[in-house]
Amino acid sequence: MIIQRRTLLGGFAGSATASVVGRARAAATPQKGGTLNVSAFSDVTSFDPATGRSGDDHLVLYTIYDTLIDYDFDTLRAVPNLASAWSFPDPKTLVLQLRQGVQFHDGTPFDGAAVKFNLDRIRQLPRSTIRADVGSLDTVEVISPNEVHLHLKQPDTALPLILSDRAGMMVSPTAAQHYGDNFDRHPVGTGAMRFVEWRDGERSVVARNEKYWKPNRPYLDGINFVVLPELQIGLRSLLTSENDFIYALDPLQLAVVKRSSKLVAVVSTSLLCQLLYFNLSTPPLNDVRVRQAINYAIDRDAFGKATGGLYSVADMLLPAQHWAYDKALVGRYKHDPDQARQLLAAAGHADGVDLAWFTYDDQAWQQRAEVLIEQLKAVNIRVHLTSASNPEVTSQFFQQKQGNVNLSSWSGRPDPSLTYSLMFGSDSFFNPGHGVTPGLDEAIAATRVSSDLGARAAAFAKVQQMVLDNALFAPLIFQPQIVAHATKVKGYRPTLLGKPRFDDVFLSA
Amino acid sequence: MTVQGWINPLGRRLAEVIPVILLATFLVFGLQQLVPGDLAVTLAGENATPQRVQEIRDFYGLNQPLIVQYAHWLANAAHGDLSRSLLSGVPVSRSIAEKLPNTLLIVVGALVMAMAAGIPLGVAAARWRGSLADAAVSVLSSLGVAMPNFWLAMILVSIFAIGLQWLPSTGSTPFIQAPLDSLRHAVLPALALAVAGAGEVARQVRSALGEVLQSQFVRTLRAKGLKPASILWKHGVRNISVTLLTVLGLLFNRMLAATVVVEAVFAIPGIGTLVVQAALAKDFPVVQGVVLVMVLLVIATNLIVDLFCALLDPRVIRT
Repeated sequence: MIIQRRTLLGGFAGSATASVVGRARAAATPQKGGTLNVSAFSDVTSFDPATGRSGDDHLVLYTIYDTLIDYDFDTLRAVPNLASAWSFPDPKTLVLQLRQGVQFHDGTPFDGAAVKFNLDRIRQLPRSTIRADVGSLDTVEVISPNEVHLHLKQPDTALPLILSDRAGMMVSPTAAQHYGDNFDRHPVGTGAMRFVEWRDGERSVVARNEKYWKPNRPYLDGINFVVLPELQIGLRSLLTSENDFIYALDPLQLAVVKRSSKLVAVVSTSLLCQLLYFNLSTPPLNDVRVRQAINYAIDRDAFGKATGGLYSVADMLLPAQHWAYDKALVGRYKHDPDQARQLLAAAGHADGVDLAWFTYDDQAWQQRAEVLIEQLKAVNIRVHLTSASNPEVTSQFFQQKQGNVNLSSWSGRPDPSLTYSLMFGSDSFFNPGHGVTPGLDEAIAATRVSSDLGARAAAFAKVQQMVLDNALFAPLIFQPQIVAHATKVKGYRPTLLGKPRFDDVFLSA
Repeated sequence: MTVQGWINPLGRRLAEVIPVILLATFLVFGLQQLVPGDLAVTLAGENATPQRVQEIRDFYGLNQPLIVQYAHWLANAAHGDLSRSLLSGVPVSRSIAEKLPNTLLIVVGALVMAMAAGIPLGVAAARWRGSLADAAVSVLSSLGVAMPNFWLAMILVSIFAIGLQWLPSTGSTPFIQAPLDSLRHAVLPALALAVAGAGEVARQVRSALGEVLQSQFVRTLRAKGLKPASILWKHGVRNISVTLLTVLGLLFNRMLAATVVVEAVFAIPGIGTLVVQAALAKDFPVVQGVVLVMVLLVIATNLIVDLFCALLDPRVIRT
């Protein structure tokens, strides 16, 4: 059985009915008990949210830590969590009202002092990997146990959603001080689950927090995250009933799920966008016309169909469900080979152009590259492809600034301002040539000034318009988050961020 | 045999240990520097500024000259401290102590299976040389040796794990915690490794035993009227024990290396998986630690095999 969320059905090719979801939900009454076995393709890099190095850690971290602010699963709007309310009395002050009566797993009370400790810690810890996330933060003032004021260096209305990420995950000050550098071996949060065991490269185990502040949660007694790096092997472990849940499957693996009566697939939109990164500073891609020609030469629908068939076309870096999505930009680069040839000729490349590309050396990326190479060949863009491992491509393209194009993906961030500043900021790692687009840095900064969502969406529309007009990248398709789980697993709700959460998951008898 | 007779080869072996360890660890350390990627960038997080990356490089000592980093690691290792993983912060010795038993269980299991199947097959082929049984053993052992273990592993999984659901298809359980479950997890990976080993053993036994059975003393034994079974097992097989031990030692070392692939197919958290993940992430203390332990294991195996060979056949020591 394949379930696609009604709200997320959007542009996906494929034919599933939303009513299946309704029936599946109505039939299941939540019940407590049981342990969920999850096949995870990567191990946690650190149980300390301040020192982790992978966005895939969230799968486990979300169970142990609550964030100050959460996001709505469907739209990624900020919603209350440990902070029951927040406001910007002036553009440079964020006031957080804190939930009362919450305790960390070790009994330490969660209060204003704990928030200050956490926000200071992530900026002071030598091994911190998230200092830059809270770069706008100047000081934290504890007004009362239930209220803190965050004084900012400059306006930053992206901060609430940044606090729904690692930076907002609250660790117990008592445990962090007690364990010091070893805190990631003894993590303590306020989350639905408490830490039990971490066997490196093997498994992580969490168990129910009996004193959890959310009523009647969690349903599960515990979760085992079993590290199985190969998705094929992970899916196999579901077929043999060794595990109950797997995520990030390839569309081609859906056929295996379909054949099994024991498994259910859930396909949902995520922010994961397949795209072409450009080096904007070296010829020929320092000419906007060549970049635009590439965008016009790509038939995104054909690409999506040829590479698994489950996709929605990416016109920008945000899918249609997102609050900052701008309809006006849909179809900005419709497939138009003639236009591509004209642009190339105008740029002095009437005989075509040669480009050095990178992509990853696994089968799926090879296939994607092959499809694009054929499409670009039609307008006389000749691709010279180098395939390598992820670290090698990262090293050569982003660090050593070799090649013109990198066929890869972007996993998205809770607040889109992070996405745009990380990908196109003039000094960003992911902008390898450090190509400067006049006015873009300022336009991105402007998205963090207003706290009104409508005003922010308008500011993002301007950023997105600039990014597309200058063809700073070539969006391809949004890759769905494909989850498969045993039929006994109920209550799973996908998130637009694409990271699985187990907040409402339970096991039926 | 004199004590001196034992000490000389033993001493010679032990004297080889230090240069081999130095050479192996230095080569591996040097090769790791060729792997692309900057660990400091990984450790600094994705939003890090170049200044932050430099801070991280200084903090972890990654800015020191390579030879200094190697010397630092070597000095610690000489004191029994294999350092900590740069990525996880876990002591390398602890990681190895956790993972090595999983690997050894598979390798020892595979060796037992290889011997249990290979010896009877080899003996049968030698006993009935030129017969249909001999031809069948030759074909089977060639097939066993030629069959890639990862392919066989996948076939075994599809039959015994997915189809019949008799055995688990992934992971492992520590032997001390749950011996039976641990063995259940080890059966399929050990079998995947054992098939090539069984083919190798059968071939070697057939060849060595064939020679023994055609030798003068066996002819004499037959002439004296000894039962064929007694000649075969008591005199024949005993005379090929040195060959068997040597094959056993070689197989152990080879299987230790082959587990890297089999562990990947069965997602077993063994020492092969540990070293592959560490090498990909440029976590050099882990790679160095595993290489050191592997080298020590291989040297120790060879030494033990030599000693037993000398015990079984004192002529070995003089050669």
